[in-house]
Amino acid sequence: MNIDYSNEKSVVAGRLTLAQIEDLVAKPMGTKPDKKFFIAISISLTALLIGAISVGLTFYYGIGMWGNNQPVGWAFAIVNFVFWVGIGHAGTLISAILFLLRQKWRTGIARFAEAMTIFAVMCAGIFPIIHTGRPWLAGYLLPYPNQHSIWVNFTSPLVWDVFAVSTYFTVSLVFWYVGLIPDFATLRDRATTKFKKTIYSIFSLGWMHSNRHWTHYEKAYVLLAGFATPLVLSVHTIVSFDFAVSILPGWHTTIFPPYFVAGAIFSGFAMVVTVLVFVRKIFNLENIITVDHLEKMNKIILATGSMVGYAYAMEFFIAWYSGVSVEQFVFINRALGPYAWAYWIMVSCNVIFPQLFWFKKIRRSIPIMIVIVILVNVGMWFERFVITVTSLSRDFLPSAWAYYKPTLIDGGILLGSFGLFFTLVILFTKALPVVSISEIKAVADGAQPTHQGAENHA
Amino acid sequence: MAQTEFNYQKKDLPANLLKIGFAIFFIGTILSVVAFFVNQERAIFNYLVTYMMLVSISLGSLFLVALEYVAGADWSTPIRRIPEYFAGLIPLLFLLVIPILIFNHDIFHWAHEKAVASDKILQGKAPYLNIPFFVIRTFVFIGLWSLFYWLLIRNSVKQDSSKDQLITKKNIKLSAIFIPIFALSITFTAIDLMMSLQPHWFSTIFGVYYFAGTIVAAIAAVTLAVVMLKEKNYFPWMNNDHLYSLGALLFAFVNFWAYIAFAQYLLIWYADLPEETFWFLTRWNGSWAYFSIALIIIQFAVPYFVLLTQPSKQNPKILKFISIWLLFAHLFDLFWLILPNMKVMKDGYVFSWIDLVFPIAGIGLVMMVFYWRSRKINLVPVGDPKLKRGIDFHL
Amino acid sequence: MLNDKKLFGIAAIFNTPDEIINAAKKVVESGFTKFDVNSPYPVHGMDSAMKLKSSKLGFVTLVMGLTGGALALLFMYWTMSVNYRIVIGGKPFFAFPALIPITFEVTVLLGTVATVVAMIALFFKLPNNNHPLHDTNYMKSVSADKFGIIIEANDAKFDEKFVRDFFQDLHPLNIEMIYYPEEENYSVFQPKFLLFLFTTAIIVSGATYFTLNKLLYITPFNWMDDQEKLNPQKPSDLFSNGFGMRTPVEGTVARGFIPYPYKGETNPVHVLSNPFLPTKKNLELGKAKFNTFCSPCHGYFADGDSRLRGQFPNPPTLHSKRAIDFSDGMIYHIITNGQNVMPSYASQISRDERWAIVNYIRALQRAKNASSADLIEINKETGTNGAN
Repeated sequence: MNIDYSNEKSVVAGRLTLAQIEDLVAKPMGTKPDKKFFIAISISLTALLIGAISVGLTFYYGIGMWGNNQPVGWAFAIVNFVFWVGIGHAGTLISAILFLLRQKWRTGIARFAEAMTIFAVMCAGIFPIIHTGRPWLAGYLLPYPNQHSIWVNFTSPLVWDVFAVSTYFTVSLVFWYVGLIPDFATLRDRATTKFKKTIYSIFSLGWMHSNRHWTHYEKAYVLLAGFATPLVLSVHTIVSFDFAVSILPGWHTTIFPPYFVAGAIFSGFAMVVTVLVFVRKIFNLENIITVDHLEKMNKIILATGSMVGYAYAMEFFIAWYSGVSVEQFVFINRALGPYAWAYWIMVSCNVIFPQLFWFKKIRRSIPIMIVIVILVNVGMWFERFVITVTSLSRDFLPSAWAYYKPTLIDGGILLGSFGLFFTLVILFTKALPVVSISEIKAVADGAQPTHQGAENHA
Repeated sequence: MAQTEFNYQKKDLPANLLKIGFAIFFIGTILSVVAFFVNQERAIFNYLVTYMMLVSISLGSLFLVALEYVAGADWSTPIRRIPEYFAGLIPLLFLLVIPILIFNHDIFHWAHEKAVASDKILQGKAPYLNIPFFVIRTFVFIGLWSLFYWLLIRNSVKQDSSKDQLITKKNIKLSAIFIPIFALSITFTAIDLMMSLQPHWFSTIFGVYYFAGTIVAAIAAVTLAVVMLKEKNYFPWMNNDHLYSLGALLFAFVNFWAYIAFAQYLLIWYADLPEETFWFLTRWNGSWAYFSIALIIIQFAVPYFVLLTQPSKQNPKILKFISIWLLFAHLFDLFWLILPNMKVMKDGYVFSWIDLVFPIAGIGLVMMVFYWRSRKINLVPVGDPKLKRGIDFHL
Repeated sequence: MLNDKKLFGIAAIFNTPDEIINAAKKVVESGFTKFDVNSPYPVHGMDSAMKLKSSKLGFVTLVMGLTGGALALLFMYWTMSVNYRIVIGGKPFFAFPALIPITFEVTVLLGTVATVVAMIALFFKLPNNNHPLHDTNYMKSVSADKFGIIIEANDAKFDEKFVRDFFQDLHPLNIEMIYYPEEENYSVFQPKFLLFLFTTAIIVSGATYFTLNKLLYITPFNWMDDQEKLNPQKPSDLFSNGFGMRTPVEGTVARGFIPYPYKGETNPVHVLSNPFLPTKKNLELGKAKFNTFCSPCHGYFADGDSRLRGQFPNPPTLHSKRAIDFSDGMIYHIITNGQNVMPSYASQISRDERWAIVNYIRALQRAKNASSADLIEINKETGTNGAN
């Protein structure tokens, strides 16, 4: 295939007019849900119900229902937490970093990815709260003047987490909402029933597509992206600090912050691709979320997957190089010890399979892509499992070593978090435009003046 | 759209560049040789600082070229020749590295057999830290860099006349292969030439730390050259958005460097393990403490606030100032990484004129290489299909 | 009917971005200032065509972001270094590197939220669903895929006919007159609204109070409080006597416990002898313990001047002849065993402390009945004339 590098490729395929784009995106909200929708939502609701029951049992009987033991006191809860926070990173990366890098292809997928961020962070937020066993005391995490007249420990990475995750959630939500305002206005003006019109009017805040507003709006978007970019890095960095500030071998290593961030983007993109492949098919958005976009995401998956591989290699090399015997032991134990199965799942799914994306054919083949991205998600879940469990199960005191096995309740909660995530995603596809209408219009062919302001950039 | 209609008239760089460059290089070299006879150990440590600086600029520039191809960026296409010129230093590294290999005894503690014999940890590291393997690694890395430099730049130059789009495709592939090689080689270069100066110390992020500094230095060098050429009207088509992009990149990587440096410091400080903290404690001994604080200010605080606002990112004067500043900052960073490993300076910095002379020779060398490359290769990649898009670039 | 309405402005609709840029430039050239362009997405180059100044929103972000960061850092400094200092992990109270993450997060949080709130409320003056443009055909078009420009009637140069002709020359798709909607009055101070505000305030503050002070202390499952174990003094069916607590096996002695042989005797024939010398250190211990345990009834100087204001009968003074003649062992016996209404202090005061108290009582007795020989001793010790 020959590419003409002298022209930019159209972001929107199929030469759609602005009206066609709008109809395409707004259609799912105007139609009654069909059978497929009900099947999908009943599956995800079932998973959610299983999760809710598991959480209920946990609250009623206590966290003794989980497989946690001594010394593995931190297991599924933190694994799932880190996994979901990681999934959330792709959204902000697409909406903020790619925006700052002026990657126009992001417009087709940004809204969806941002929504996934918010839902993933909601899933993640559950785990720190339930893992205490007494979730009604979660308020203690916040520094408010209380009867004990003491404060939270601001130097604790767990308190950093509270700040990081709640800031991340708030900022993502604000970012998402700001992006939705013009779309709400468009939907308001399309609305046929009074009820819909009222709802959309409230959420659109009376937006008028005024250019005097657009100019501030665009500035705000840059500012928000400028803030969200370091924020997204900081969140997974702080999550990595949960582990890395300790002195446990396998946790305490200086590459953790960038390594976690790369891993988060890696898993997040894999999840976005997983979901988008289906969404574009079901809602006929093939022209807006094109194979080119998927290919670009696959390239990022390849890049971040290689970064993760670099970090694995570096950890191994430095463990040997350091000459610290416990460090060396931990890494040999990971690869050859009782959890070797988990380690090799992690390495093959995260480092080896994504390397297939070097081939253009594979990057653009939807069935192979689905398999690989799902494997990446599996691998990234196992990465957190390997980090958490292998280091804890065999720490400094050999007499205290123990093998950790999750219980059904652990599995139920994990399944429930997927249920929650997909329930929210499915409802979102029905309730809100899955693609930013105003942004995608702006990058369609012919949407901008032909001599786009050569003289106006002062 | 048709192929580029951009008319490029070859306009040589002022010959003064070569003359001044040579003069600086000559003076610097003389002083360096004198320094070498005055205090061999100190001279070779300082030589290492300047060598790493040259690696940063040249290799970082080659990385920027590869990054442009892989990312498909168009705004940087018209100025791609600048990093290509800087990358011209890479083949010279073969020669430049030789003094370090010859005088390895003066720099590397692990190169002393006696020291290794009485040190269990060093014995454990001996399979990696030994002179033959070290020399092989060094030359293999420089060889790989030179190979990719040669391939990428040869293709890029060929395109000037052939205007063949396939060359872009070829270079994209080459760049994609180069980037992982670059990542590994720069990591092990950093470990070999800087981390192993204090052979007991280890940090997994060290390669990334050096990478971050490298990119800052390379972008600063490119920005400096671009702004100076723009002042001399070599880039009449250049608009604020090109400058803004350079400024934003600079700003981003200043932050990236700070992020990596902070991550490394925080984790070691927090865990407080003696096998790691001593490295930072050495850099807190006596007057080194001032250097450590100064590093934060020079490499992060000042450039951060200077580049924070949008207008300053596209102001050529500010960009010129801050890129000189950041080149100095990276040199200072390398100095801070390398010099405290000298035994005599364990307890604090002692000033010597030797510290000043090596960078002078380095500056001269860079100027000469830049000039020579510009004589051979067009200042603008006239055959690149993305050129027109790059020139018309608007945010 | 239409003529009764107040004119808001005249709008023209165009089909392409090129046309609208051109129209905007023309409008600016004609000297209109109160006009606006409406487009379904931001059109590149429109800001300069309309001669808009670049947005000042960045200042809000900068100021609020820095404020947020500074406040967070100051707050953490105050809590951790001033208000409640705790040594954590051997780090200094003001462990700056460990405070950076939260400082950063709060900077971002406040910066972003302030930017968006300022943009919507101050820059856009939204929410406003009552704007004349709403529900017009013009709005519907620019919301979808057309580009519109509107000149407001309150512009200084506004003239209905001139504007119409002016737009006509630009060949728009359509020209539309926009009128103000019929006035609707929503007085801010109508009783319903005030009642609503009042109710909201009550509910919010009540909920906050309830959450922070009640909800957080409710335990849905209090199994940790009710554990299947025996607490001290509680009965148990397991043992025949129904007591949960057991008596020690006969003849055993608890660790660190020396049994008192004359326990329970009112007038013991034999008493122990004092194993401690009245050293300064021993007397200080005795003083401390005496002041804590004895002085509430006996008074600070053992005069029998109780501080209990008659809640408990006053004991006799310890400076009586009888008390002075008690042997040390007898006083010890009384502390250990109790006497008359005085209970045993054996469980509160340890054996050594009891002897120290005995020594201190002796010191008090001697001080109250000092002889001139004692004065000489004091003079010797202090080097001054104790008589003064």
